[in-house]
Amino acid sequence: MHQLLQHVVNAILLGSTYALIGVGLTLIFGIMRLINFAHGEFYTVGAYMMFLLVMVFKMNFFVAIILSVGFGVALGAALELLLLRPLLKADMDTTMIVLIAAWIIMQNTELLVWGGVGKAINSPFPVQPLVIGAISMSWLRVFVFAIAGLLIFGSHALIHHTRLGRSLRATFQDRETAELMGVNVGVVYTATFALGSGLAAAAGALLGPVFIATPSMGDMAALKGFAIVILGGLGNFTGATIGGFILAFAEEFGASYISSGYRDAMGFLLIILVLLVRPTGIFARVDRIG
Amino acid sequence: MKRAFIGLWLAILISAPLWMGKSYFLHVSIITGIFIIASMSLNLLLGFTGQLSLGHVMFFGIGAYFSALVSLGFKLEFGDHIALVVPPQPVWCGFLAGIGAAGFFGWIVGKISFKVRGAYFVIVSLSFAEVLRLVALNWVSLTQGPMALINIPPFAIDIPGIWQGKLYGDVPNYYIVLCAAGLSYVIIRRLVGSRAGRAMIALKENEALATSIGIDVTHYLVLASIVAGAICGMAGSLYAHYIGIIDPDVFSFIYTVTMIIMVIIGGKGTLAGPIVGGLIFGFFPEFLRGNVPPEIQWIVYGGLMIAIVFMLPEGIVPAFKQWFRVLRDNAAAMWSSRKQAAVKD
Amino acid sequence: MIARTTLLDVENIAIRFGGVQAISGLTFSVHNHELLSLIGPNGAGKTTAFNAISGFLRPSSGRILYRGQIINGLKPYQIASLGLVRTFQKTSLFERISVFENVLIGLHRHAQQKSWESLLALPRVAREEAELRDRANEIISFVGLGSRGGGRAGALAYGEQRLLGVGIALAAEPQLIMLDEPVSGMNPTETIRFMDMLQKIRQRGISILLVEHDMRMVMAVSDRVVVLNYGRLIADAIPDLIQKDPEVIRVYLGQEKKIA
Repeated sequence: MHQLLQHVVNAILLGSTYALIGVGLTLIFGIMRLINFAHGEFYTVGAYMMFLLVMVFKMNFFVAIILSVGFGVALGAALELLLLRPLLKADMDTTMIVLIAAWIIMQNTELLVWGGVGKAINSPFPVQPLVIGAISMSWLRVFVFAIAGLLIFGSHALIHHTRLGRSLRATFQDRETAELMGVNVGVVYTATFALGSGLAAAAGALLGPVFIATPSMGDMAALKGFAIVILGGLGNFTGATIGGFILAFAEEFGASYISSGYRDAMGFLLIILVLLVRPTGIFARVDRIG
Repeated sequence: MKRAFIGLWLAILISAPLWMGKSYFLHVSIITGIFIIASMSLNLLLGFTGQLSLGHVMFFGIGAYFSALVSLGFKLEFGDHIALVVPPQPVWCGFLAGIGAAGFFGWIVGKISFKVRGAYFVIVSLSFAEVLRLVALNWVSLTQGPMALINIPPFAIDIPGIWQGKLYGDVPNYYIVLCAAGLSYVIIRRLVGSRAGRAMIALKENEALATSIGIDVTHYLVLASIVAGAICGMAGSLYAHYIGIIDPDVFSFIYTVTMIIMVIIGGKGTLAGPIVGGLIFGFFPEFLRGNVPPEIQWIVYGGLMIAIVFMLPEGIVPAFKQWFRVLRDNAAAMWSSRKQAAVKD
Repeated sequence: MIARTTLLDVENIAIRFGGVQAISGLTFSVHNHELLSLIGPNGAGKTTAFNAISGFLRPSSGRILYRGQIINGLKPYQIASLGLVRTFQKTSLFERISVFENVLIGLHRHAQQKSWESLLALPRVAREEAELRDRANEIISFVGLGSRGGGRAGALAYGEQRLLGVGIALAAEPQLIMLDEPVSGMNPTETIRFMDMLQKIRQRGISILLVEHDMRMVMAVSDRVVVLNYGRLIADAIPDLIQKDPEVIRVYLGQEKKIA
């Protein structure tokens, strides 16, 4: 029984970061109608920034997290302005190519700069786990869970309780009408992409110390992000959040009770199943299929 | 004029092994040719039917594995008592098995893509390919997993009494790939120019209109998917028998990316596009090889992709056609004004 | 006396979506060789009725029969295959390809070649392709786009695009063609030319179900007129009687268009 509970706790802790990745991706899709192929690379960037700041510059861990996320936001904004903005009128294939190119460039830059060997990032948390009853959790993971949760709530607040958020929501509903009503769609797009990238960077910054940082870590993160977004429905914030947890649960339980080699496949099998049964995702209410 | 151009091309291609000198270039040509075949199949789906399948590499991998397994022989065990044993078959058998299996998966993907549209389909096709990669990786008893299937036999000709022989080496394989590429080109070209091809283009351009005039959109989507899958599977099979070793990396997303680059850069929706794109991205790396580390090479490709997308959004082939047209119009205008001037004198 | 066979039977259909009852209790028929017009104020449900008949929408109750066969529930391409083809209110074309190719696609139903025959490049296929090309040219001339065949469909003027839309539908060899506001946006000259074309279409034995706002044209070309308001049928008679129907006049009172 306590084994079961342990799995549940593990899944919850991991699910929060999955949710971060998923929310960023689903926002970008919902508002900009883009499949962000570079999303995984922002995750990687977050992790490597942590490495740089904590291990090389010996900075404070918590400050480093804030800076890493900030860097992710800035980089996302820059990418949007330079590469995506000029292609506003182009069709999906073209923007997809550009994002794939960005993915290739970013990952190979990381390989060039850091090399292929994984880099460990130290955290200030004690190594002994926190033990509550029969369940043990590492302090680091609890911290990760807390921050991830904070960021998700923060993003939700941003979207629902600020003026910028209102513009985001309007653009999501109907871009043309929003434009006619005076919403600056350019700003919306930049903000969305920056926010999404920032969340991905946050996930990377948080998980970097948990696992290790490698140049290709973003690939799996991105693929899982896609799985989460499908589960929750493209553009559905809450769906992505819940989807992140569902994926974590599927992985945790699937890996333990079915086969650990197929752990990573759980997400994909879930997607395929869900889409066969309910082609618009479990939670999607609005289906505007690209 | 056009025929002369094509004739010249064919002459160059057919005689290539004679003047290519280093066998290494022949090897590159073969690999490039295999990728061109795969890209042409992707173009059928993406450029003509409008289906963005990011899992296209799955057909390549399936073709490779089925072909290899059938020609190596394999054993499938179900529990302790039931086993399916297939002894090694002649290579052409494996070849057909690879094509058939890939075509079958094409059928599945086609059916799914109808239920699941747009961006959802993009992602689900990606997942499909990833699942297959993980299956190939983990089903070690069948596929040897990461240890790879080795000693895959090359193509062989076995006409009893006349000629028997295995086709090792670059030269025979070059011609095999060349023929396969030619065959693929002809198939796709004929399909696209036919009633079925028009239906596919119609469903890409305006599905509601297409269905309102009696086009069974699902049927043509599935047809395109089967043909594209089968051709891509053929490419995979050629790869397996040429290289002799395959591992789960034949399902890598990076191959799909390569194919997409070739199609989009060359010009999607054109017949020559994947060929031009394939030639560029097949041979261009060779100029950089040796001096430049692979990471920088890839960064250069990434930059090149972005550059072409910004400067030649339709791809290279349509841009060339446009320049040609302008050149020809200018030449015609100059010619006729010269004639007029001559008449006046 | 000409025997009147019924091509299309709409029996008591109701359609609701998004919580709105778009159509209720709609019943009318289109007879062979007839030109029936469906009119009504904006939002009366005319295009919705078209969508239901052509299979793009499913009625929540009632039946639709074409030549005695139930067609509600069939997919649009199946309904088109039976000979019932529609055009769209918002111009719907294959904009990025040429006018000629647009019509060629429309000939899909007419063509017989099988896919494998095309792959083998059998001479039969080449013959059919030549025949299709001739037909396409003929249709392009018929709708009055004779010189514009090579141009991109998206580059045509608005009125020409609507003609192309009709051309594509005609290529699909309908017995009953449903035209959704074909002359909207056309100037008077173009409209008169279109009315001539309607005559020629009828001479080919094709029956027509027409939705239009241009009352002069409607009253001039129709054999019968059906009037919708708020999703309900309020009149079904020959044009003369419709113009005098008090209910119809009331519905149109206050609107810009006069009925005579």
